[in-house]
Amino acid sequence: MAPLLEVKNIRTYFHTQDGVVKAVDGVSYDVNRGETIALVGESGCGKTVSALSILRLVAEPAGKIISGEILFNGVDLLKLSDAEMHKMRGARISIIFQEPQTSLNPVLTIGRQISEGLEFHKNMSLHDGMLEATRLLKLVGIPHPERRVYEYPHQFSGGMRQRAMIAIAIACQPQLIIADEPTTVVDVTIQAQLLELIRNITKELDTALILITHNLGIVARYAKRVFVMYAGNIVEYGQALDVYHQPCHPYTAGLLASVPRLDEPRKNRLQPIEGQPPDLIAPPAGCAFQARCTYSLPQCSKEKPVLMQITPGHFAACWISQRGTKPWQK
Amino acid sequence: MAVEINTPVVFERPPHTLWGDAIIRLRRNYFAMGGLAFIILLSLAAICAPLITHYGFADQHLDQILQGPSAQHWMGTDQLGRDTFARLLYGARTSLAVGIFTQFIVIVIGLPIGAIAGYAGGRVDNYIMRFVDVMYAFPDILLIILLRSVLGGSIYMLFLAIGLVAWVNISRLVRGQLMALKSRDFVSAAKAMGGMGPYITWRHLLPNALGPIIISITFNIPRAIFTEAALSYIGIGVKPPTPSWGAMIQDGFNLIFSKPYMLLFPAIALALLMLAFTFLGDGLRDALDPKMRR
Repeated sequence: MAPLLEVKNIRTYFHTQDGVVKAVDGVSYDVNRGETIALVGESGCGKTVSALSILRLVAEPAGKIISGEILFNGVDLLKLSDAEMHKMRGARISIIFQEPQTSLNPVLTIGRQISEGLEFHKNMSLHDGMLEATRLLKLVGIPHPERRVYEYPHQFSGGMRQRAMIAIAIACQPQLIIADEPTTVVDVTIQAQLLELIRNITKELDTALILITHNLGIVARYAKRVFVMYAGNIVEYGQALDVYHQPCHPYTAGLLASVPRLDEPRKNRLQPIEGQPPDLIAPPAGCAFQARCTYSLPQCSKEKPVLMQITPGHFAACWISQRGTKPWQK
Repeated sequence: MAVEINTPVVFERPPHTLWGDAIIRLRRNYFAMGGLAFIILLSLAAICAPLITHYGFADQHLDQILQGPSAQHWMGTDQLGRDTFARLLYGARTSLAVGIFTQFIVIVIGLPIGAIAGYAGGRVDNYIMRFVDVMYAFPDILLIILLRSVLGGSIYMLFLAIGLVAWVNISRLVRGQLMALKSRDFVSAAKAMGGMGPYITWRHLLPNALGPIIISITFNIPRAIFTEAALSYIGIGVKPPTPSWGAMIQDGFNLIFSKPYMLLFPAIALALLMLAFTFLGDGLRDALDPKMRR
């Protein structure tokens, strides 16, 4: 069966005063029906932009999807008319934004904002929409939903707002949910609750999920496959456990080493990745990670590596691992 | 967590709309309610003027000109021997009507133009706002004089003429507010749920801009009343002997040193009305902010 979503070689550029920022530069990935994948990478590597590109919500006129295909159920979203795209957003694909504090309208009740999508896509009346909103609030674990549905965002705590955002995203039972760092702004205990909630709901509704995160720690637990992004490119992808245990790209290895782990002795210090991601206006000629890589070869600064299969189903864009060595493995 | 579906839901209380909530909050604001009460009382008094005073607004008592307040004439008489209290009551009809009806015209024209410019942005915004700038730069009184000569002399055309000049402020305000609001995250969130431009403007952006819009309108009301006064002074406002507060203030101003009460009473009336609108406007702005909900 064809995958639900196939992103093929998209390039999303931003035209700024200083030049063209190649935020997403030839990224491909796919999501199967009901599957959870993770897009991982540090801030500014193009994760969010590549996800917003799916919904065609990149801020125009500065940002533009230059080329590529986004096949959703075999239909290229980039070729749809605006009206057709409106029917897609919220109904078939929805998104959970990073910051629930600012992503909810302060002057509308939570219930109204949940029922909005139902009114657009299911022709529900406001009354039916509010009833459904109450049910959804209950579903995402908000106590006293029949009361809460009439409250305003500022009366909700951070974690509850994110639950409300989840309720909005699942309202029309979309086939794909994009969760853009859904747990970055809440504390660790709430993070775990929210991720469990998202997992349970996507499982229950058989919804595919793109989990965007910078935290490799949560990836292995929730996602089936992982795509690691660096400087607008995917540098490694494969089954979550393979990537987690046998990273084939020094960047992934670096990310893993910089996550605190409870099962290691305390005296082992965290290993930060030194340096900064490259300037996306004028990316380096060779491997984008070369300047920060401790293991780099002469070839790395000359030729840009492409994704190659290292082990079955596990791909990496790295000259070092493509030679069959992994010096970062202990 | 178990996922439950089809659980019956019982409503504890009726749905609250933005305005429903606002009215509840407004009722708790005594200053705003005082302002509203004053405006309603004044409107009733203006409508029922013949029941309150037996003097007509044009009755001249030539043996009693320029008198101070007395039992017979509560607020004295003017230079034609007309009862000031009666003229104040009848004048409230003109002034309230000018103040309020021009705002309807201002909203009907200025709000959509500002909203379209603010939401659409880019070239549309540029064209609309350049037109607004031209309107803004044109001297108000000159434009009203021009419009008065084209539209004719009736009082309704006076509302229209003042409204056609005053809408630019609101459209600039609305446009500015929308420009700032449309880059907020909740707008992208609404778009991501399939919301289209007009819906997002109406449902998400304008309610967030209501506070400043209402403040601006409440301050526009006294301005319109003054504009009418200025027009009456140069003879293209309401036609004498129809009284208006503006015209009465202008009359009183000429005799400010010899007969100060002629200026005093209409000036106090206008000041109180302005204060009432300001309190009401302040109260409405607070009431429309959901964060004030208790």
